[in-house]
Amino acid sequence: MSIKIAGSTKGTIEEAVQDIKTQLGGLETRMLLFFASSSHAPEAISAQMQEAFAGATVFGCSTAGEIISGRMLNGSVVAMAFDGKSIKDVKVEVVERLKEGVSVEGAFSSFEKHFGEPVSVMDHDKYVGIVLVDGLSGSEETLIDKVGDLTNVTFIGGSAGDDLKFEATHVYADGRSYSDAALLVLLKPGTRFTFIKTQSFCDRGKRLVVSKANEETREVIEFNGKPAADAYAEALGIPVGEAPERFMHNPVGLIIEGEPYVRSPQRIKEGRMAFYCGVTEGMELSLLESTDIVADTAQALAKAKAELGGISGVINFNCILRTLELNQKKLTEQYGALFADVPTIGFSTYGEQYIGHINQTATMLVFK
Amino acid sequence: MAGKIKQMIDTIISQRSKDNPMLAGVIKTKLMLKGIDPNKFTPQSDDDPAIIAKLEAVIKELK
Repeated sequence: MSIKIAGSTKGTIEEAVQDIKTQLGGLETRMLLFFASSSHAPEAISAQMQEAFAGATVFGCSTAGEIISGRMLNGSVVAMAFDGKSIKDVKVEVVERLKEGVSVEGAFSSFEKHFGEPVSVMDHDKYVGIVLVDGLSGSEETLIDKVGDLTNVTFIGGSAGDDLKFEATHVYADGRSYSDAALLVLLKPGTRFTFIKTQSFCDRGKRLVVSKANEETREVIEFNGKPAADAYAEALGIPVGEAPERFMHNPVGLIIEGEPYVRSPQRIKEGRMAFYCGVTEGMELSLLESTDIVADTAQALAKAKAELGGISGVINFNCILRTLELNQKKLTEQYGALFADVPTIGFSTYGEQYIGHINQTATMLVFK
Repeated sequence: MAGKIKQMIDTIISQRSKDNPMLAGVIKTKLMLKGIDPNKFTPQSDDDPAIIAKLEAVIKELK
């Protein structure tokens, strides 16, 4: 069984793809996952990666920064290749036109046909799903919610990025590039796997109950019966005008079994607060305070390693806001070093998925 | 009327988890992310039509 990784910072797509192909030489690739900087033309990177690994199932997405064992990169392409023993079977489905309404039934019918059993009864210990979604579609909650309603198989993943341009993000499959779309990828790994969901926040003990919201626009109109921005600033003990400066270090979270599911504020407009993921009326949120990303991630990795008895590969969906915080604190090298001895690829995302859609979190699929 | 929400939540968790405690925890998390906190509902809780509609949609997906 073998999982191999490769990364390239070569300037042109042709050079980068060839570089990756050379690094992965010798492996009979069954499945190839890649993450590419938005500096690479979407149609061309998808077509050339598929052409380079013609016999394999190839898929990926655009990023806001890439991760490979030991390093956090920009402007690169990173890839993880699996042989036929590490991935016994895989099926990729593209869900298009997300903004018109999310429908995953077609994808699930295709999975049933391919694997010979309904996804609703699949063993969650034998199958795992990856989701890659247009990070500007605003459809992630609906998508992961529908997937979660239909199956106990865990789907984990991230929202594609575009290096903070916020213009267009892309998912890649079958040699094509898609926007306003998501990839649902169902895998039957040949080895055990587990998940990491890690976020570095503590609960400040201040409750903010969503008393009025516009769920479609991810806006909170009122917390605790007051204009949302006023209530947020009051909880922090600061003037409203200073509130946006605290978004990164003080997001809010839904605490479930002691574990925060982070909702990151995006902006304040006329007293309302817009978030990077969904908030529903009645939701009781907690004011959070950032802690130590490097230490918490090290602990999460160690726990996964102990659980599996070793790690052969990690796919890391790391929130762009975590990357920005690591940059700000000059900790990117330390963060990258956590994965130096573990075959890892990942990217800086515009949102993370694990059970639900979350922010300021790293979700990771970890293979034994 | 009261108690219908608690009953529906228990049915969803039981059917989906097949009494696997790990899965039961995941189903509870999914419900909380939909804005329904299973811990807040008792047999005495009022039958809120909006929450019942959300739960009916989940039950429909199970079939």
